[in-house]
Amino acid sequence: MTKPGMSRRKFLIGSAVGGASILASGYLSFDAWASAKNNVQDIRVTPTLCDGCSNWCAINVFTKGGRIWKAEGIPIAGINQGRVCAKGHALLHEVYNKDRVKSPLKRVGPDRFEPISWEQAYKEIGEKVRTIKEKHGPESLFLVQYPEGNSALTNRFINALGSQNAFSHASTCFLPRNIGWWTTTGYAKPDQDIEHTKLGLFIGRNLGAGLQLRQLSDLSKAKDRGAKFVVVDPRFSEMAAFADQWIQIRPGSDLALTLAIANVIIAENLYQKEFVEKYTEGFDEWADKVKGYTPEWAQQRTDVPTKVIRKLAHDLAEAAPRVFAHRGYHGAMGTQYKNSFQLVRTIGCINGLLGNFNQKGGMFFAPKVKLGKLDPQKYPSPTVPEDPMADGSGDPEKYPLTPVGQGLTHAIPELAIQGKLKAGFVYHNNPLRTCPNPARVIEGYGKLDLLVSFDYVLSETASLAHYILPESYYLERDDVVHTNQSYQSKQISIRQAVIEPLYDTKPMVVILIELAQHLGIGEYFNWTLEDYNQASLAPLGVTLERLKKEGVVDLGGKWKPGEPEFKTPSGKLEFVSSTLKDYNMHPIPEWEETLTSPDPNDPHSFRLIHGKQAHLTHTRSINQEYLKEISVLNDMTRVWIHPVRAKALNIKDGESMIISNAVGKGRATAMVTEGIHKDCVFLPSGYGVFSRNLRTAFGFGISYNDFLPTYFDPMLGHCMSNEIIVRIEKAMT
Amino acid sequence: MPRYGMAIDTTKCIGCHSCRIACQNQNGLDYKETYNWINTRERAYPSFHKEYIPLQCNHCENAPCQSVCPTGATFTSKEGVVLVNPETCVGCGDCVEACPYKMRVVREELGIVDKCGFCIELVRDGGTPPCVTTCPTQVRIFGDLDDPESVISKFIAKTGAQPLQPELGTNPKIFYKRS
Repeated sequence: MTKPGMSRRKFLIGSAVGGASILASGYLSFDAWASAKNNVQDIRVTPTLCDGCSNWCAINVFTKGGRIWKAEGIPIAGINQGRVCAKGHALLHEVYNKDRVKSPLKRVGPDRFEPISWEQAYKEIGEKVRTIKEKHGPESLFLVQYPEGNSALTNRFINALGSQNAFSHASTCFLPRNIGWWTTTGYAKPDQDIEHTKLGLFIGRNLGAGLQLRQLSDLSKAKDRGAKFVVVDPRFSEMAAFADQWIQIRPGSDLALTLAIANVIIAENLYQKEFVEKYTEGFDEWADKVKGYTPEWAQQRTDVPTKVIRKLAHDLAEAAPRVFAHRGYHGAMGTQYKNSFQLVRTIGCINGLLGNFNQKGGMFFAPKVKLGKLDPQKYPSPTVPEDPMADGSGDPEKYPLTPVGQGLTHAIPELAIQGKLKAGFVYHNNPLRTCPNPARVIEGYGKLDLLVSFDYVLSETASLAHYILPESYYLERDDVVHTNQSYQSKQISIRQAVIEPLYDTKPMVVILIELAQHLGIGEYFNWTLEDYNQASLAPLGVTLERLKKEGVVDLGGKWKPGEPEFKTPSGKLEFVSSTLKDYNMHPIPEWEETLTSPDPNDPHSFRLIHGKQAHLTHTRSINQEYLKEISVLNDMTRVWIHPVRAKALNIKDGESMIISNAVGKGRATAMVTEGIHKDCVFLPSGYGVFSRNLRTAFGFGISYNDFLPTYFDPMLGHCMSNEIIVRIEKAMT
Repeated sequence: MPRYGMAIDTTKCIGCHSCRIACQNQNGLDYKETYNWINTRERAYPSFHKEYIPLQCNHCENAPCQSVCPTGATFTSKEGVVLVNPETCVGCGDCVEACPYKMRVVREELGIVDKCGFCIELVRDGGTPPCVTTCPTQVRIFGDLDDPESVISKFIAKTGAQPLQPELGTNPKIFYKRS
């Protein structure tokens, strides 16, 4: 907020004379002004899907005189229920960002680009791909993406080129969570009926920053009804502020807590016996295993008092089956720790003990929409190569459970350095900033013979690319039919252009179709986006015209509580996983140590943990002025440190600290707070942009990836992003 | 005629700032200009807690900003909403200093001082302020304080929500349920 300057005050003295006469008529003239403001002509509303994160919330976007103005949520949308978050509002402005790529570009030197025509770029890329394929085989090609709704088409593209190497960000985000739930229940992402629950337990899941608007809206409704929520986190997260109870836990020890909860529930006979008998497999074996995991055992590892553990177990059991332990995400259940996978399994099993699957207020499996497909007679599909991915994902000998099509994105630099990957296509992703150990990532990506980016700005990765084929911003492009709005009923939605493209950019689907013609795979892209969408909608009885008009169409098929259907090999919830047994992996959830621990005898030694802030998605939103201003105004790049530890290092609130380890070094301002466990410091993610072509964000804050070594979890290969040990010291000014 | 007010339940606020940018867009504000803020307050005892407190113009019944305004640009509408007439505001800044809650904003390019106006033009058209409708956890309730049956009146009666610093005697029309 700017304070008024002296000059304006002086100006007043000369002009205040007329004040009294205006006073009487002030009210009326304001009304006239207000209605004039309302009567601006040419306000148009277009339903579309936000692109601020992977929720793709359904929004109505308003334009005023042809310029993007504001957004409102579409009320029926299952995922956002009429709400829009800060990112959703602010990223509307991004279409006018000064840093946008305005035409296809060719890199002609370090950070030097020249405009190139689409035709010429396609031609040159086509020639290079052909040469690389002939010399190194199609398996040296890869695609890396943050999956969009059209990932079926980007995957089709790389498969048509003969490569299996489609990577997503899974290995730096959610991999253990999805595989843990899948091996336990047969579903990668079960949902919670938050609205009707009595008690919800969130282990490291911070819905207050890793937003999902529907879940937040339901939390609010449940709270009004008297439901209780418990958050377990080393840090007082935004979700902890909403919850009724915050249990501070030593980072990386959530598994011990959950095993002890299971111990109490089983030992005290508090589990839902009928459910366990009817719908689960391997209970006796697991019960035997958890006997040793007493609250006393867990207290030593977690710093959570035994009476808190016992009470939590009792509270959960008492609320059953209208209760859930949340399916989780980052914090503890994503790609954070070596024991994250066992934690997810344990949480899945605790929900089993509580008998809450397909129960009101418990866990449920969202109804799925099945879209139609292109007619294979008219539009042939490429053969999908059967080999495992270059990183060993899908390889029975290496990472059998890591899905092909997701792979290990942070293995790409290694594979490039080894010469196994030669050419890459990067879509809606910025591995140089989102993968661990940036120096190594830069080296690996720098070794590629060809790197093509489809980015709309020159991110760190795009700045290293040989060619940029800029995708139109989401407000400027038509896209495929989505199904992700389906929550408790089946819904379809669609993204469509709100305004014409401002620059020489194209929708991704159009780029793929055109590029395919120059890569010898045109036969697999002999259709238009319209054809594709018509085919998707054909079995659903909804016209494309209607979907575009309404934005979201509800197809019914509402979820109803009843018998649970598990999709595991046994058809039951598997305490003992048959899939894991098949691969000789620990089939029963049990205690596993973290990979690293801070040195308890060194006052400088800390674990570094990280997490999201509600207004940022990865590092791509901090280049947006409205969002950056929130960080600036609230000093949100600060690193949290406990007062006892800070005092030992003579660090006061607001002072500078140096964070370092073998991977990197950085400087941050200390936020001294009891809201963080003594063992760790918390570094908010979303900062540390080092591309000079992102002028708003450049040089603002630091990233946890600057300190994360290149790890591969032995079982799934994920990056273990909380296994960071750093040295903290006071900065000498 | 309704008398508009707002209730804010800080026990539900996660500090996500959706309200801030919804408001900026609705009112065509630059990124540095805002009509609402979120303050945070930590307490250590009896147990650690952090509270997010959304702040904006309190629409006081006895608005100090209005009484000091030399041109009458600040006035109270028929619905009890404290508004600024941009045509008559000369940007002197007296109101900025008079507001005990510091909720007034200088809009440099217009040469005026402005603030939250409960989106009255939208409300008169049957709408609801976007800070209310966009809030993911439904922290805010907007409505008629004079209607005992309104959601806001019932909420205030049930929770005993209080305005900020009632001792100032400004009689704000924003009521807080605090955590």
